[in-house]
Amino acid sequence: MLSNVKVIRSWLLVITLISGIALLSQHALAEDDLDDDDPPPDYVLRGDGKCTVCHDENSDRPVLGIGKTKHGTVADHRTPTCTSCHGEGNSHVDSPDKALMPERTFGKNSLNPVEERNAACLACHQGGKRMHWAGSLHANRDTACTACHQIHTEQDKVRNRITQAEVCFNCHKELRTLINRPSRHPIREGKVICSDCHNPHGSAGPSNMVRDSVNDTCFTCHMEKRGPFVYNHPPAQENCAICHNPHGTTAPNLLRSRSPFLCQECHEPNTHQGSSGTLTGSYARNTLARGCLNCHTQVHGSNNHENVRNESMFQR
Amino acid sequence: MNIRIIKMKFPQSILAITLALINAPVWSSDNDPIKELTKPKSTVNFGTGYLFNDNARFGQYTGLRNEGPYGIFNIDIVRRNDETGTWLKLLGRNLGLQNRDVRFEHSKQGNWGYFIDYSQTPRYEPFTVNTAVTGIGTADVHVPTSPTSGDPAQLKTERQSIGFGYNKFLPGNLEFQLHFRNEDKDGARLFGRGNRLGAPGPKAVGGFEFIPEPINSTIRQFGASLDYVGKQLQLSGGYYGTMYNNKNSVLNVTGGSDVGGIYAPSAFTPIALAPDNQSHQAFLAGGYSFTPTTRGTFKAAYTRATQTNSFSPTLFSAPGVGANLGGRIDTALLQAGLTARPLAKLSINTNFRFEDRDDKTPVLLYNPMATLLDLNGNSWHGFNNPRSFRTITSKFEASYALPKDFRLIGSIDHDHRDRSGFATNTSHRHRTDEISYRAELRRSLSETITGTIAYILSDRFGSSFLTNTTGTGDPFFNLIAPFNLADRTRDKVRLMANWEPIESLSLQLAIDESRDNYGHRAGSDLGLQKGSARNYSLDATYTFSEAWQATAWFSRNETHIDQTSRNPITDSGFREVWNANLQDIGTSFGLDINGKPTDKLETGANLLYSDFTNKFNQKVILDPQINTVPNISTQYGSLRLYAKYEVRKNLGLRLDYILDHFKTNEWTWNWRYTDGTKLTQDTNQMISFVFLSAFYSWQ
Repeated sequence: MLSNVKVIRSWLLVITLISGIALLSQHALAEDDLDDDDPPPDYVLRGDGKCTVCHDENSDRPVLGIGKTKHGTVADHRTPTCTSCHGEGNSHVDSPDKALMPERTFGKNSLNPVEERNAACLACHQGGKRMHWAGSLHANRDTACTACHQIHTEQDKVRNRITQAEVCFNCHKELRTLINRPSRHPIREGKVICSDCHNPHGSAGPSNMVRDSVNDTCFTCHMEKRGPFVYNHPPAQENCAICHNPHGTTAPNLLRSRSPFLCQECHEPNTHQGSSGTLTGSYARNTLARGCLNCHTQVHGSNNHENVRNESMFQR
Repeated sequence: MNIRIIKMKFPQSILAITLALINAPVWSSDNDPIKELTKPKSTVNFGTGYLFNDNARFGQYTGLRNEGPYGIFNIDIVRRNDETGTWLKLLGRNLGLQNRDVRFEHSKQGNWGYFIDYSQTPRYEPFTVNTAVTGIGTADVHVPTSPTSGDPAQLKTERQSIGFGYNKFLPGNLEFQLHFRNEDKDGARLFGRGNRLGAPGPKAVGGFEFIPEPINSTIRQFGASLDYVGKQLQLSGGYYGTMYNNKNSVLNVTGGSDVGGIYAPSAFTPIALAPDNQSHQAFLAGGYSFTPTTRGTFKAAYTRATQTNSFSPTLFSAPGVGANLGGRIDTALLQAGLTARPLAKLSINTNFRFEDRDDKTPVLLYNPMATLLDLNGNSWHGFNNPRSFRTITSKFEASYALPKDFRLIGSIDHDHRDRSGFATNTSHRHRTDEISYRAELRRSLSETITGTIAYILSDRFGSSFLTNTTGTGDPFFNLIAPFNLADRTRDKVRLMANWEPIESLSLQLAIDESRDNYGHRAGSDLGLQKGSARNYSLDATYTFSEAWQATAWFSRNETHIDQTSRNPITDSGFREVWNANLQDIGTSFGLDINGKPTDKLETGANLLYSDFTNKFNQKVILDPQINTVPNISTQYGSLRLYAKYEVRKNLGLRLDYILDHFKTNEWTWNWRYTDGTKLTQDTNQMISFVFLSAFYSWQ
């Protein structure tokens, strides 16, 4: 005699099988219907079925990876559809062998002007840190957003601290080698990256600086140089880049050139200030070790009243 | 939860069948390819590596300095609730090393979010210090009174920062943002004190002592903003504050040599360290799209920076000077830009920026002793020297579309700077103006060949140089026009071209060259003469197949500065004019190959080699005697190999190998301090670092 439990279990099994078969049938019907008038199912974005029916992972242009990104987070009602960026694309869908491209494409063979491509991004990303994109250096150089950003991948290379510099170096080639010079920021290690100092989307500062000036940007890490001091070294107050090249140098401390040569670009040849570079004799003190800074140690400024003989000595 | 209940009540076979059937067409199954392609992935990577050979350069910022084993541990956990759009992210990088980063992020996309991060960055001084100086890393340093050989010491600083940020979207297209960062920096770095031991002259020797500077400070940045993002109008207004706090205000040095009497460096104590300071900024930035092709942007900001750190009671204090500097700098910034396309083929871009950095620090007599005659018979002022700067930059650019996708661009930039201050022992002029003209031809659309060629002509000029005078008003030397103030003309040519001769090959050529000519103080030929910079690069990318791609590149970078100065008076009473033609030459090449020989194996190699040479080329103009400075040549090479093998779709092994080589003949520290301290480095450093790690990923 079957127990009640076994009876219930058997019925449940039957119901489950029937449900499964029904669902499968429904799915099969849906597949069949693809040949008819029903639109293909969406996988990630709203209405993407029309695109993903072809652009799956086997396509030359796979797009499903966008589902892993913020653009693919459809619970956020602001997220785009395929056509938000690429246009309706009916001509592309309807054309034989898809010979006609969608209204807007972003690849290297795109026929759309850069301004038109970027407009698709700026339609949503115009505020915040991208406020000053219009008129910025990159905008004026016809830089497409997609020249730096990868939209359909989970890991956008330029937003990864380890790989960002590689993207920037695609154009800024002279910097590619500077970061390997003996005196450098830890850019190779991803501890200081291009976007720590520069806003590639434009800013109110010079050279796309993230803060309003070169110095204010440097002070975010080197605030001890800000002062103001009792005795200021004027170029240090004006612009750090007068003496330093932050991208890398062979001279110590990211200096553009060595002591005494760098200092002699401004300082009068009174006595020892005019000595030529030498590794021997008493004036080696201007060239070896910290060079002029062997004595004038407080080169960024001094908060000590008592600087021997002269307010510009920076000795203590 | 529901699944667990079903599992308790249903036999497993039923459950399996049910799930298999129900899940067949959807993407929530573990083995669902759609889920794999569309849902965020988490990865953990762990293993161990071994570093062969001690080094100072390879591990300068990572701590990978001493031969031995190291742990590899990276995590990247990403979870997303698709129903709510809520993200949970935990990123941990280099957790087994000293340069670790951790970031935790929790957000509901389009609604709210916050993050907390931590970063640790060491910096090891690449030179080993052999010293008998004690108290390294503290504000109380003791220096031997006579030359003493010491023990090796390793100077190091380390930054540890903790950051926090929060954002919340509000009704009416508003977003509120908050951020805070605290960075502590600890350790010690190279510093010293020194002086000439007696009257000036070519044979006057100096006394120099190694005094490591203690680093124990905190940088804080914090701010809040309210952003509005509308279709046409965007605004961002808020507050940004910074604060610097140094635990040590002075460096007290005991001991040291008294050779030289009143000139002995031992007299230089205490030494002031960087003072506490802070800044507070209010800002409003915005953009408005008048039409789809016309947009204006602006930023207005007002910043007050102050430095009111109390003077240490151990420092000399002049009569009438307060307890602190009372330093205050108010900076007003106004920037406005407009881009427009008045004609279908014509685009214009204008930008105006005004920055007034007004140093309102009171001017007082801080050093009465400066008014006494120095050894050269001069006296000085002894006042503090606040500097104010006013900068106005403006730009106008027009771009016109030509047939065949060419564009012609022309622009004018004007940079105007006003500087306060007076001229004592370094030349000064109140105003400089620099006007730059640019003409450029560009072909931007992606075809088989695109590129740009530009010519820029800049001219910097300014008001008359003030006459350098001593404290008594007597003229001082007036021979050098400083680097940032001198008249200068600059010609620059820039060329960039991309060419795809065949589908699988792309070439990129970048060339720029600039030449500078500097003006001089009236009646003088000393100072900067000429300068130039040349950068050449050629990149080639070749796609062998869908699985293999290679990139090779070559770069040559040259800068040269031609400058003239004048030696001190020699024994014969003659000052020789000498010239240095400083050359900085870098030659580099790289090769990068990546491939996937099989479905499960991915591999790659990256080779980089650079040679940097500094030439000093000193020569005398009026006299045959001249010092020579040897060239400095540095080579850096790096080879990185990796192979990644997928044992399963979500489980694999990765083997990495790094060969890193640094070689130099630099002479900077061919020097011994008076106290006996000497800095050394291994001039030929080669390491191998091999590490094996496993990676596991899941969704």
